[in-house]
Amino acid sequence: MKPDAQDILNKSADQLMGQLAPALNAQYSQGAAAVMALLLKFAGKEYERGADIRAAENADMRALFVELAPRVSDAALRKSLEDAAAARETSFAISALNVANHDLRRVLIAFQIWIEDNGSREDQRRIWSVLKASADRRIVSLF
Amino acid sequence: MSDALSENLAKYLAAKLNAPDLTVHDLARIPGGASRETYRFRARHGGTERKLILRRDPPASLIETERSTEYRAYQAFHKLGLPVPEPIALELGSDALERPFFIMAEIENAMVGSILAPDPYGAHRDRIGQQFFSILGRIAGADPKALGLSDFEGASAPDRCWRHEVARWEKVIDEDEGEPQPIARAAIRWLKRNPPPPAQKICVVHGDYRSGNFLYDANGDIRAILDWEMAHLGDPLEDLGWAIDPLWAHHDPSHPAGTLARADAIQVWEDASGLKADPGALAWWEMFASLKGCAIWISAAHEYATGRNDDPVNAFSGWYCLAYHNKVLADRLGALA
Repeated sequence: MKPDAQDILNKSADQLMGQLAPALNAQYSQGAAAVMALLLKFAGKEYERGADIRAAENADMRALFVELAPRVSDAALRKSLEDAAAARETSFAISALNVANHDLRRVLIAFQIWIEDNGSREDQRRIWSVLKASADRRIVSLF
Repeated sequence: MSDALSENLAKYLAAKLNAPDLTVHDLARIPGGASRETYRFRARHGGTERKLILRRDPPASLIETERSTEYRAYQAFHKLGLPVPEPIALELGSDALERPFFIMAEIENAMVGSILAPDPYGAHRDRIGQQFFSILGRIAGADPKALGLSDFEGASAPDRCWRHEVARWEKVIDEDEGEPQPIARAAIRWLKRNPPPPAQKICVVHGDYRSGNFLYDANGDIRAILDWEMAHLGDPLEDLGWAIDPLWAHHDPSHPAGTLARADAIQVWEDASGLKADPGALAWWEMFASLKGCAIWISAAHEYATGRNDDPVNAFSGWYCLAYHNKVLADRLGALA
């Protein structure tokens, strides 16, 4: 389907920023239009990468759970880790990936709390490697 | 701009200032953050004209704050001789302009440095940095009781400051998070497990002291410290930690606020405040600053998503600023693991 959504959003942002915002009389309106243009740019990037970063993040969390679940002595927590690790994406729509992502994040929070009290430093570092990768992927670049 | 707002404002000021002939002109909304609607206008009476600013509550406020806080901070620090706008009137009722508001003097011929600009202060960066951290030191060094602000919300004892602030912002995340936040939750646990030493003193904390929240002129002089709505009583290092947070460093964290080198900035603050910035304590407050940032951005995203406040700045905060602070926290906490 052409033009690409990212192309539409980028060009709309450029027009809003370069042509429409300067033509507005009120300072507040100019400022708001400039922020909206920036948001369109962000949305363009998110359109391109959104499904990819969620799928990668979900895969990272599942791999982490597969790797570390056997060390968890808490039976209920181990079961939730194993269930989360066994689940697969049913759709690559952003909304569906978000549902899975939020479920996995909830399990990750409970798991990290348990590891902080019961796990090794190595296990803690392994969890942080997943969280750092997530934070790196989700950075929104201005440029 | 709404004629009704202009007329009602004129009616209010005429009564408030006992100036029956007062008229309002050129009322126009200007950028001023998502938590208050900000308008510039001119008030004429008796052959004179004053340029004034109206700050009105939006239909929904981003961070719920005591409405008189910002106005009282302006009053107190204006008297102390710090660069803040002269406060003119505070109205807590909703009869005059539908929502609470206050009016202050406009600072003319001054500008704000955009937090997105790589070098907003240019040749004036050192001069502005000296003033920026010196003024913050003076705020930290001031006595809340002498300022008449000892009843401000906040911690009542030096050993309670950190706990009070963590609880405050954890509650915001509890109430507003639209998705689970593993990094912010881990930060909260770390902050609770590794508390800082008690505050050296209880001071007035500005609450949002940073690049982008002050006005400066073409000579590189800071003319006004703005946005005191989150002011409270607390640890002096809280403001310093926020002021040197990487988000406000214009892409160069070695020069906080886009001004001085970090060590120089801290030295200026120490000299002006008469306090010490213990590296370990400051590191805790820096971690807290990024967590507080997450809470504010989560709240902004919530306001936008729920339609309570559709200022596009809230959407920007929910995407750009939250991702930024999540990365800062992940890098710092990951390095400590």
